[in-house]
Amino acid sequence: MKKITRKELKGYDGTGGRPAYIAYKGQIYDVTESFLWKGGKHQALHLAGTDLTEELENAPHGEDMLSRVPVVGTLID
Amino acid sequence: MARVAREMVERAGVNVDQLVELLVKNASAELTTYYYYTILRVNLIGLEGEGLKEIAEAARIEDRNHFEALVPRIYELGGKLPKDMKEFHDISACPPAALPADPTDVKAMLKILVDAERCAVRGYTQLCNMTAGKDHRTYDLVLAILNEEIEHESWFSEFLGEGPSGHFMRRGDNSPFVSKFLK
Repeated sequence: MKKITRKELKGYDGTGGRPAYIAYKGQIYDVTESFLWKGGKHQALHLAGTDLTEELENAPHGEDMLSRVPVVGTLID
Repeated sequence: MARVAREMVERAGVNVDQLVELLVKNASAELTTYYYYTILRVNLIGLEGEGLKEIAEAARIEDRNHFEALVPRIYELGGKLPKDMKEFHDISACPPAALPADPTDVKAMLKILVDAERCAVRGYTQLCNMTAGKDHRTYDLVLAILNEEIEHESWFSEFLGEGPSGHFMRRGDNSPFVSKFLK
């Protein structure tokens, strides 16, 4: 498991061939292969390379959706 | 584009570019689902499949109607559809509802159908939340579509044994909520 800082996370934005990672409650998820995260963007509103813990509270789905993508690390400050 | 109509929505605090992008993504989901449901429907055969065929057909036609109803609003708000069909497919708000590896597995097909409808219910709920009290015309449209998507979800969910849908399949015309946008 990788340990990734918030600054490093920004580099995993899913653009330019880079992997797309998102953070949620301290864990890092790899959404690169997800159809719903093409180009590092999800539903026109959410960006890869960011911590989505707060945004997920207002999403029309729960955290169970994250079980469909692999955990690759933990977020450190 | 309906310049003043767009301006009113912007003034109400809606990010219209984001809204248009979401409308285009959902229009893509509707048209691609229409295509995938066509494949699913023709493979719904045999004792199990025939019972589902008619309800899948209703959902298929209504999803196409949703696409037709969304397109004018996209252009009113200054948006446009991609010029390329493949690009349009790949920006869909929902993953492709492709035929399962075993096309005789009716339960697998039902799972695909219900997943597609659940994705749509989430998407239109989000659009309703974004536009409620701010963009009346888009809200009216996406609420109408949401009503039909919820019914589709409940139909397929009932067949999966998750409980009664609480209503019957369509009697008469399709799209009881969205038809007013198609005239």
